[in-house]
Amino acid sequence: MPEYSSLPLRIAVVDDEPLARSVLCEFLAAEANVEVVAQCANGFEAVKAVSELSPDLLLLDVQMPKLDGFEVLDLVGRDVAVVFTTAYDQYALRAFEVHAVDYLLKPISAERLSEALARVRERLGRGERAASPGAMAAAKPREGHAHRVLVRDGPRVHVIPVDKIDYVQAQDDYVCFRSEGKDYLKEQTLAETETSLDPAKFVRIHRSYLLNLARLVRVDQDERENRVAVLTDGRRLPVSRAGYTRLNSLL
Amino acid sequence: MHPILVRLDRLGGYLALWCVVGVLESSVLTQQGLTWPEALVQVLPPLLVYAFVCLSAWYVCRATPLATSGVPRVLTASMVAAWVGAALWLALNEAWLATLESMPELASITPRFRAQVPFLFVVSVMLYLLVLSVHYVVLAFEAFRTAERQQLELQVLTRDAELRALRAQVDPHFLYNSLNSISALTGSDAPAARRMCLLLAEFLRTTLRVSTQQRISMAEELSLAERFLSIEQVRFGPRLQVERAIDETAMECQVPPLVLQPLLENAVGHGIAGLVDGGTIRLDIARRGDRVLIIVENPRDPDALPRKQGGVGLENVRKRLALVFGGAARLDAAASPSGFRVAIDLPGTVDA
Repeated sequence: MPEYSSLPLRIAVVDDEPLARSVLCEFLAAEANVEVVAQCANGFEAVKAVSELSPDLLLLDVQMPKLDGFEVLDLVGRDVAVVFTTAYDQYALRAFEVHAVDYLLKPISAERLSEALARVRERLGRGERAASPGAMAAAKPREGHAHRVLVRDGPRVHVIPVDKIDYVQAQDDYVCFRSEGKDYLKEQTLAETETSLDPAKFVRIHRSYLLNLARLVRVDQDERENRVAVLTDGRRLPVSRAGYTRLNSLL
Repeated sequence: MHPILVRLDRLGGYLALWCVVGVLESSVLTQQGLTWPEALVQVLPPLLVYAFVCLSAWYVCRATPLATSGVPRVLTASMVAAWVGAALWLALNEAWLATLESMPELASITPRFRAQVPFLFVVSVMLYLLVLSVHYVVLAFEAFRTAERQQLELQVLTRDAELRALRAQVDPHFLYNSLNSISALTGSDAPAARRMCLLLAEFLRTTLRVSTQQRISMAEELSLAERFLSIEQVRFGPRLQVERAIDETAMECQVPPLVLQPLLENAVGHGIAGLVDGGTIRLDIARRGDRVLIIVENPRDPDALPRKQGGVGLENVRKRLALVFGGAARLDAAASPSGFRVAIDLPGTVDA
C-alpha cells in the first residue's frame, strides 16, 4: 500500500448540486498530490470531461439530470476509476457489481474520502483500470429492460430510445445500432446487448443480428434456400435456422 | 335470505316462541268450551306456517327503513303488510279447517272453533305488527353497531396514515442531502450554514407538531411548505424557481395537515432535479366559496424515463383526503411529456 500512497490523482467532480461539489473540492484541496481537473453538473459534462481531460478518477453522484451515475459509468467506466457519492444507500450493491472503487454516503466526511482515494491509488498502482467489460454487462440487466441505449462518440453521448432501433449488428469487439438511418458503434458484445433489451421485442435472428420485431415485414427465401428477413425499409438481413425457430416461437 | 332462516338454532328458537303464542291462543279458546287438545290441533298448524309468513316483515323493514322513510310511509307499509299477512293466515286457517272437516271423527269440533276466527284474525294482525317492530329494533341496533365499528376503523386508518405521513415527511434522503449542504456551507459561508440549520430545525419541528393535528390553517400549511422550498433552494441554487399565486382569503381555511408539502416534494424530486437548467414550480392556492383549490405545476425532462405517477407521497395524500372527506375532496394528477400538474379541491372549513 505505501508505494502507491503518493500517486498523483487527476480528479473530476460530478454532482448536479453546487454545494455538494464545493464540499468535495474543499476536502480534496487538503489532500496531497490531488488535482481537481473538472467540475461537472451533469452526466454529459462528465463524459465530455473524461474524453477531453482523461482524469484518473470520477467522484460521481448517482441521481443527476439526463444521465444518472450508473449510465455515466457504463459509458466511460473503461477509461476512468469511479467513486460514487450519494445520499441513497440502496445503490451500494449495484455500485460494487459494476466495479466502482468505493461508495460514499452523504453527508461525506473528509476521512472517508481519504480512504476512498487510497483505494483508488492502490487499484491504479496495480495497473488496473476500473471495470472489466464482463462485469459491466453482468450488472446491466437490473429491474426491467433498458428503455434507451447510450452510445459514446468521443465527448458526445447519443441517447437512442429502444423503439427507434431497427436492428443491432455484431462487428468484432463492437456492436452497431442502426437507428433512423444512422449507425452507432458501442464497445459491447451482441450477447450483452441482447440481455439488456426486452426479449419480446428484440430477437436474435442470426449470430450477428438482433432484430427489432416491429421492423419485420416478412421472411423470404433466397435462391439458395437461405431465409432472409425483410425490414420495413426494404433492407434484407440473414436469418439462421435457430433464428428462424426463435422468430416463429414469438410470432 | 332472512338471518333467521340461515341458522337452525335461530329458526328453532323462533318457532318455539310461536308455539308459546299458540298455547296462549289455545288457552283463550279453552275458555270458550274447547278442550286443550282440540284447541291446540286447530290453532298450531296454521300458526306455525304463519310464523314463516311473518318473516316477510324483514323485507318490509329493509324496503322502508326508519331513517330515510317518513312516518306516514312506514305506517302505511306496516299496516298493508300486516293486513296482507293476516289475510294469508286466514287462507291457511280456512285450508286447515277444511282438512279437519273432511275427517269425520273431527268434524264435530270445528263449528265451535269457527266462531273464534274473527278474534284470531285480529290477533294475527297484531302479531304481524309485533314481529315487524322487533325487526325494526334489531335492524336499528345492528346499524348502530356497524356505525360504531366503521368509526373505529376510520380512527385506526387515520392514525396509521398520520404515522405514515410523518415517516414520508421526514424523508431521510432529504435530511442527508440537507446535512451535506450544511457541511459544505460550514467551510465557505458559516452564516448561511447557520441559517440552513435553523430552517431545517424549524421544518422538522413544525412537521412533527402538525402531523398530530386533525386540521391546521392553510396559512400554517403554506409556511411549512415555504420552509421546505427554502431548504431545497439552498441545495439546488438558481435551478429551483418558484412562482406563487396565493389567495389570502384561503389562508384562514382549516385543512388536513401535510397535503401541500408532499406535492412540492414531488415537484422538486421528480421535476426540477431531473432538469439540467432547473425550472419554475408554480404554486396556486385559491378559495371558491367554502372550497380550497391547491395547484402545483412543475416542468420535467421529456426524455426522462417514465416514472410511476407521482409516487408514494401523492398516493398518501390521496388516501388521506379520501379518509377525511370521502368523496368531497378531489385530487387530480395530470402528466404531459414536459410537465406534471396536481390539483387538489377540498372543503375548507373556517372556524367561527
